[in-house]
Amino acid sequence: MKDRVAIAGAASTGFQARNTDRSQASYVAQACKAVLDQCGLTPRDIDGLCGSLPTAPAVQSMLGIPELTWFANPVIPFGNHVAAAASAVYSGLCDVVLAYHGAYRMAWNTGSALKDPFRRGVTFGGGGVVPPESVAGSAGYTAWASRYIYEFNVPRESLGHVAINSRTNAMANPGAAMRDPLVMEDYLSARMIRSPLCLYDMDVAVDGADAFIITTAERAAGLRLPPVLINAVVLGMTGKNEEDQTPGLRQHGQHVTVEALKAKSDFWIDDIDVLLAYDGFSVITLNWLENVGFCGPGEAGSFIADNWVANEDGTGRIMIKGRVPVNTHGGSLSEGGTQGTGHLREAVHQLQGLAAGRQIEGAERALVTVGGFFFNAEGMTLRRGRPR
Amino acid sequence: MNVGNAGGRTAGSMNNEPADMSVADADVSDEELCSLFPGAVDRDSAAHLRGRLRRRLLINRCAECGTWHAPPKPVCPSCLSEHVVATPVSGAGTIFMAVFLHQGPPAEGVDYSTPYPVVTVELDEQPGLRYSSTVVGSPNEEIQIGRRVELDWIMRGNVPTPVFRLAGKSRA
Repeated sequence: MKDRVAIAGAASTGFQARNTDRSQASYVAQACKAVLDQCGLTPRDIDGLCGSLPTAPAVQSMLGIPELTWFANPVIPFGNHVAAAASAVYSGLCDVVLAYHGAYRMAWNTGSALKDPFRRGVTFGGGGVVPPESVAGSAGYTAWASRYIYEFNVPRESLGHVAINSRTNAMANPGAAMRDPLVMEDYLSARMIRSPLCLYDMDVAVDGADAFIITTAERAAGLRLPPVLINAVVLGMTGKNEEDQTPGLRQHGQHVTVEALKAKSDFWIDDIDVLLAYDGFSVITLNWLENVGFCGPGEAGSFIADNWVANEDGTGRIMIKGRVPVNTHGGSLSEGGTQGTGHLREAVHQLQGLAAGRQIEGAERALVTVGGFFFNAEGMTLRRGRPR
Repeated sequence: MNVGNAGGRTAGSMNNEPADMSVADADVSDEELCSLFPGAVDRDSAAHLRGRLRRRLLINRCAECGTWHAPPKPVCPSCLSEHVVATPVSGAGTIFMAVFLHQGPPAEGVDYSTPYPVVTVELDEQPGLRYSSTVVGSPNEEIQIGRRVELDWIMRGNVPTPVFRLAGKSRA
């Protein structure tokens, strides 16, 4: 499948960290319309549809897409959607996929969503009573953060640098939800949510949406924007993938993803121009930096410190070897929690030359990692498919 | 798999103490079990949850190859045998991960004004076999990765809930 499937366009509504007076579907519609316009397509051109919420049938009906030959409603994060859509396109089940993700403030990602009566019924999963004595779901990353700190004896500042990097980058992204400067004193004095993680270690619940056009490389070549070719995509998991049964920090889904992605890709970390390393929780980014090979286990904190560009006001950002920035859109921590669509959209825009005030000059190749450790450690290598 | 009968004591007849006056000795019906653990029961977790009512921590073990697994599955992930048996464990183990919730889901007896500990314990029965719950009877400063723990029980409503206490500390 290498380079045979392309992302032809990516569009976003931008994100807001408050209960807006709009539905999830309205954001999805806005993002889908924007990406169709951007690519010069209409609903008639779409024959594949892929997203989680709203469901594909609901989105087809909403957008008046006349006929689909393929659709899927994969589980989050968004690497699943990319892999499903690329497979469908490559195998000929359909030709042009509209893939979307509605980020929406719901009870599972922010308790304050319950203040809005229109949101109370919008949720993932079947509900049920969740007891506090569990590390399933969000608490799982906090649990593994405790293990990370225990095994490698790292200071909280190592996590803080991930949050500050995302925030500093978000300040250059008009679509980001959180754009006020963040410095280490803010991080260290922030409210703890689940020790050892604080407010700034966890992605921000937002309203908004992203949408993508995924099609054959040939079809994409005839559309308006430079195609972004999917060089490889991997959804890695280990046998024991429950949060509390996952074997260890040297053996989880990321290790499977990295080994397979290296084997399937034409390039690796020495050749990339931008790294989009998932930061739904700060500890996940530290693990990705280590596991893709920038440094050894437990060394990401010092690696970041060695590759840190500090500003006088206390903000700062990662520039690997002075050249490769990380999460240039602000990541899940500051642009907003999008289950990886933000990371993917930013990679596409950087490679298309559409990243405006944060454009990396001449960006050709990107590594995008989406998701965490368990049943969600996903990655892809992307490259620009048209000469500049 | 243990299929309950309808002859057990009902939830309404129970109270918080003493512990041995609870549902512990009752063989509750499927209906009662599902009402005691709303949203949490399926055919594969029923034996584990029935064990809780008797204050026994049951973890699935393969009757053919002897491997333990958690959470409960209908087959043994090591040999794919369908002969898995919910089997008592001692509950002794070592804290593998430790979280302290400054906020969290509402639950009876949980006051987040003191951060609520949630630990994953590696059980002595098998390397990598883990069970997650809270720790009772010790200040948070003492609840650390690497500490030894033992099994204890608290009441959540009328239902016994397995918890841990640091080894050597008196029972809840």
